Amino acid sequence: MDRQEALTWIGEVFEEAPGRIGPTTAREEVPGWDSLGTLSLIAAFDERFNIQLSEGDIEGMKHIGDILEILQRHGALAS
Amino acid sequence: MEGEKATAAALPTDETLHCSFLDFAGRWVVVTGASSGIGRAIAIELARHRANVVLVGRDVDRLAETASQLPRCEHRTLILDLASHDELAAAIQELRRDTGPLYGLCHAAGVVDTRPLSASTVPQVRALLDVNFLGGLELARIVCRRDVVAPDGGSLLFISSIYGLVGMPGQIAYSATKGAVVAAARAMAIELARRRIRVNTLSPGLVETRMTESALDKLSSQQVDKLKALHPLGVGEPVDVARAAVFLLAPASRWITGIDLPVDGGFIAQ
Repeated sequence: MDRQEALTWIGEVFEEAPGRIGPTTAREEVPGWDSLGTLSLIAAFDERFNIQLSEGDIEGMKHIGDILEILQRHGALAS
Repeated sequence: MEGEKATAAALPTDETLHCSFLDFAGRWVVVTGASSGIGRAIAIELARHRANVVLVGRDVDRLAETASQLPRCEHRTLILDLASHDELAAAIQELRRDTGPLYGLCHAAGVVDTRPLSASTVPQVRALLDVNFLGGLELARIVCRRDVVAPDGGSLLFISSIYGLVGMPGQIAYSATKGAVVAAARAMAIELARRRIRVNTLSPGLVETRMTESALDKLSSQQVDKLKALHPLGVGEPVDVARAAVFLLAPASRWITGIDLPVDGGFIAQ
């Protein structure tokens, strides 16, 4: 998965139109990234990549870039 | 008094019925099961209250018949099998691109299959679950996406049944699907309230439709008479349910969410 595909995937999880989010987009700027959105993200990581997020991962996600970093760390995103 | 039934007062038939507080002002509402019975009546009644309607069903000709009965309004027709869950998302996304944001969903599509427990096999039960519950749930999931639903909120209505509330021989699977609808809608109502999306259910009693007619065909005339007698106001007509549906779906009912409204001629009151 390349960066653009990853952003599209994240946008899909948060029900955001493509192009409205980037690595520097903060959590507060994404209406769908509330507590339920976080649950959707956790489920999506698991279903799509078989990645189980740790508590630290979840607490540390403040920007879209943090999600990209997790994907990269697990080898799901080409560096 | 024993054996005496109230006669429903004559209903207004004026095509231009004025109910300004139920005005939909051109908002789009998706109606499943719009090819006949309760779904068709709801689509027509919504259009009478200035909703734009999306008629969802499997039968092209019968949907066209519904469309021909609509008062002047914008409408679209979607030929969909609600048991084909994988096809629903793309169809609704395409619809959204055409119509703009959607305001509401009314899941009136349903199938009934009267059979005792001994014949209620998993495939038989699943066939009812697929349409009555899962099809509606999947549609709700898609319609409520932030890039589909109107930004100022919306309204979902699921047509359940009195058999979701009370037991009836031969209706084990049907009752289960309708009970599931009510329980899921209640949870959805809580989850979606902060996005101003209301979720309600409506539980009709015995209504004269083609679906109930075929279900009643399996009963003896004595059983049918007994069932009818359980409705103090007599058997309902689709429009009786449709008017209640319009009320629950209407933007003006903005403080009503998470309820189930029996529309049953008094069946539940006994």
